[in-house]
Amino acid sequence: MKLAALIKKEFFRFFRDPKLIATMILPGILIFFLYSLMGDLLWSEEQKYDFKTVYVGGESAIIQPLLQQAAVQLTGQEDWTLTPAEDVEQAKEAVREEKATALILFDENFDERILSYSPESGERAPQVRIYYCSADETSAAFYSLAISVLDAYESTVSNMFDVNLSDEVFDFSSEADVLVSLLGGFLPFLIVALIFSSCMSITLESVAGEKERGTLATVLVTSVRRSDIALGKVIPLSCISVIGALSSFLGVIFSFPKLMGISVSGMAGAFGISSYLQLLLSVCSVVPFIVALLTLVSAYSKSVKEASAYSGVVMIFVMVLSLAAGIVDMNGLWVAFVPVLGTVSCISRIMDLSVTLGMTLLTVGVNLVYTVVLIFLIAKMLSSERIMFGK
Amino acid sequence: MKEEIVRAEGLRKTFSLSKKQQKIEKTHQAMKVAVDGLSFSAYRGEIYGLLGPNGAGKTTTLRMLSTLIRPDEGDAFLCGKSIVKEAQAVRDCIGFMTGELKLESFFTPDYLFDFFGMMHGMAKDAVAERKRELFHRFGIDRFAGVRVGDLSSGMKQKVSLVISIVHDPEIVIFDEPTNGLDVLTAKVVTDFLAELRGMGKSVILSTHIFSLVEKLCDRVGVIVEGKMLREGSLAEIMDGRSLEERFFELYLATGGVLQ
Ligand SMILES: Nc1ncnc2c1ncn2[C@@H]1O[C@H](COP(=O)(O)OP(=O)(O)OP(=O)(O)O)[C@@H](O)[C@H]1O
Ligand SMILES: [Mg+2]
Repeated sequence: MKLAALIKKEFFRFFRDPKLIATMILPGILIFFLYSLMGDLLWSEEQKYDFKTVYVGGESAIIQPLLQQAAVQLTGQEDWTLTPAEDVEQAKEAVREEKATALILFDENFDERILSYSPESGERAPQVRIYYCSADETSAAFYSLAISVLDAYESTVSNMFDVNLSDEVFDFSSEADVLVSLLGGFLPFLIVALIFSSCMSITLESVAGEKERGTLATVLVTSVRRSDIALGKVIPLSCISVIGALSSFLGVIFSFPKLMGISVSGMAGAFGISSYLQLLLSVCSVVPFIVALLTLVSAYSKSVKEASAYSGVVMIFVMVLSLAAGIVDMNGLWVAFVPVLGTVSCISRIMDLSVTLGMTLLTVGVNLVYTVVLIFLIAKMLSSERIMFGK
Repeated sequence: MKEEIVRAEGLRKTFSLSKKQQKIEKTHQAMKVAVDGLSFSAYRGEIYGLLGPNGAGKTTTLRMLSTLIRPDEGDAFLCGKSIVKEAQAVRDCIGFMTGELKLESFFTPDYLFDFFGMMHGMAKDAVAERKRELFHRFGIDRFAGVRVGDLSSGMKQKVSLVISIVHDPEIVIFDEPTNGLDVLTAKVVTDFLAELRGMGKSVILSTHIFSLVEKLCDRVGVIVEGKMLREGSLAEIMDGRSLEERFFELYLATGGVLQ
């Protein structure tokens, strides 16, 4: 009953103040526009290329469509195609005069020979020759595009015998793998940083602010249990921070693909519903932990200023931990039991699709346990006159 | 026979001083004895005044009685409950009014009254009934929907007062009741304290204003430097003279120095 009133008051305070709501929702919107803009600038740079004719001599039923697809994606020229070269020498001449972008020559029976080629045979490997003009920007761009497509294909070929490959499946997962490993490295850090800052903006104001203004003491002279006061802060502030975290999170989810130059649906395809849910679960479970941590720091501090100084230190720790988890590949069960580190490594595992449900649940459980411990400590602090009323 | 409602037994409170505080207090001692073995009794239906100069330890004593801080030694019993062992129970039978307990300026008196009613575990109708009565009594009705931050400081004090007694406590503890109030508001407050007494409630207040004690209090405790110089009924203490005269007499007799 008393706890309900405490929680209600905190919500009332928040939702009646447009300023506070704005500070929760703005970061997400800001991130969305900032990243989208960065993505636009980044990718429009490359869309400048306008491929002219690219001649093909010989034939590869596998590589040609891949090359064509990649080129269309890069330039946005929907109807661009490779042109079969009638006369190889003429085609070379056109490239030299920069009338054509490039000439690609496949050895005869390229596809079959690739598939049956074995290095032990001592035969010369089948070749692709690309004639281009590195002085011409467009030509150079096509050359590097072709090289990357061929490289990708080459690695497929060596895998092929191992995995009984089917073209489409490999294509799809390779695209997703690249994307996902990029996200996996950077996003967890970003998410934790955003959660931390949104928790910080309201928790410091609500807890250290109340202590500084002497309004917390007014509640302390009533017969409310100290643990209720602690819960009455951590529960509503966590709920509110989740809004802020979600806002930032959505901003990232919707703008990140743009930043990476892929479509939102492409990204949604790479993860399944279960990945999204697990992501949400681990993000939401770390919020109460961070709020409780900041509540503890705020309850200890004499003023908002002091609390933000302490929180700055805590923030550095949290950032270092989350960066470490993104960079260093950490194994072992102990990781899950280190606060923040466990969550960040769980998020990156969700991102690179190597997580198990058990791991996510363990992370959530660990976060909950730490939160309960912190609430207990906060209640202890609220009962300490040296901390609450010391000068 | 008068019923004893507050009994303090050898209350003692020591604060450790930081280097900065030592400088302010112009001392090299790391400890400051704020209250030094204070004992006194207050009775139901009476107003008890703690009279003393700045730094005498009045606020510290009242904070101990209202369970905000714990005594190092000694104990006090309010409504028969120990402030050391039954702090929770003591909180429900007292109302504590002091300048250091603030109300959140974002909320309205209306909201805060309900909120603190609930903090004391009161039922909704009981809170509504009490609100009507007290808001009317103090003329807060008209300002019930105005944010506390937008109220005048006198009105803020009145709101703080009614909120501190929302749960109709047996004992009202009041630190410097008329501090910062104009004569009109001060009179409203002192009249109300007298009225509380009339209703059989007990009041403990602290002040350094002689006239307030003379006008209002039934019993007085004179404290200087954390020690009780003299305690008794107002008539006993005054002994036929003015309180001010008696105070200086007591003060000088115990070796006090006037700078
Ligand atoms: N938290 C604290 N830490 C250190 N010293 C304190 C603390 N609280 C009070 N003191 C010291 O204890 C002494 C008594 O203070 P107290 O506030 O009780 O006096 P007071 O009688 O209320 O004075 P005033 O009339 O000025 O309000 C003072 O010397 C004060 O500096
Ligand atoms: Mg005082």
